[in-house]
Amino acid sequence: MRTLSIATVAAMALGLGLVFFYAPLEAEQGFLQKIFYVHVPLAIVALCGFVLGGLLAIQHLRTRDSRWDMRSYVVIHMSLIFAVGTLITGSIWAKGSWGHWWVWSEPTLVSFLIIFLLYATYQPMRFAIEDPERQARYASVFAITAGAFVPLNYMAVNLSTAYVHPRVFSSTSNLPGSMALTLLVSLLAMVLLFATLCKYELTAKHARGQLRALRRRLTEEAETPARRPRSAAPSPEPLRRAASDFHPSTAATARSIGGSSA
Amino acid sequence: MTLRLLGETPALPLHTAGKYVAGAYIVLFLLVLIYVAVMAVRLGRIERQLGELLELTERPPVAKDPSAARSGELEAEALDPVHAESTPA
Repeated sequence: MRTLSIATVAAMALGLGLVFFYAPLEAEQGFLQKIFYVHVPLAIVALCGFVLGGLLAIQHLRTRDSRWDMRSYVVIHMSLIFAVGTLITGSIWAKGSWGHWWVWSEPTLVSFLIIFLLYATYQPMRFAIEDPERQARYASVFAITAGAFVPLNYMAVNLSTAYVHPRVFSSTSNLPGSMALTLLVSLLAMVLLFATLCKYELTAKHARGQLRALRRRLTEEAETPARRPRSAAPSPEPLRRAASDFHPSTAATARSIGGSSA
Repeated sequence: MTLRLLGETPALPLHTAGKYVAGAYIVLFLLVLIYVAVMAVRLGRIERQLGELLELTERPPVAKDPSAARSGELEAEALDPVHAESTPA
């Protein structure tokens, strides 16, 4: 995880350096176009994240392994945050370029907002269901359906005739080399940032789950002294057992707890 | 060296679109900053829970029936007579 974090920081620093000191000013939009080096990668990563969430949900339904559901949830959660960033930076650009924060007649903006609002219902829907298994199953179905909607929506917008959204970066092939390089580095930095934040989120959720499991085991152990080995101190064995069910890092923690109490 | 490099870099045309570009990049920075702050709060909570678990491992077991409780006390006395003496019977 440390390598990923360092790579993210390095890529972001490099990307910012390229954006402000290497990429030339665009002829039509001038300095305002620099917003696209953050707006476009945010949008691409958010949309790809939504699709990835659907793919992970498919894996969850196939295997019934709750870890896939957790990954799908975290990826969608993070994509939603990136989508908020996309909407805000897009609005800032629209204000600078068009003089309006939002233009309802513009299909790309509205379609992205629809996708955002669709995914904004994911978490309330998920946490409205109490049974964990049903929650995971329904959330997976939602993630797959909404994930399939994302590319369809993108294609529909591209095919629409009322096509006025500025396509500064419709493909990197029509960009000058320096701009294309800057965009690619910015995109890489955003992908790394997404991966790092997802990794942190997953690790935090793992740690919380492990702590809950350990607490449950310890509480059970404390409440049933007759079943425990004859010792005044609680046995470290349940801790080790609980930890080994989850993650090697907690197993090490449990060993250290067990060692200190024994 | 750094000053020389900064002196050689071209001046950014911040007069017109500068505030919008700055705004967009500040938004990204704030999003990451808020996320890091949330993660810090979560880490603090996990640390506190870990401390509670450590306390739980050090606490003597709660006995349900008196015989078990008595045997637990005897065991405790056997293992840690100093602590057992200070505990009221």
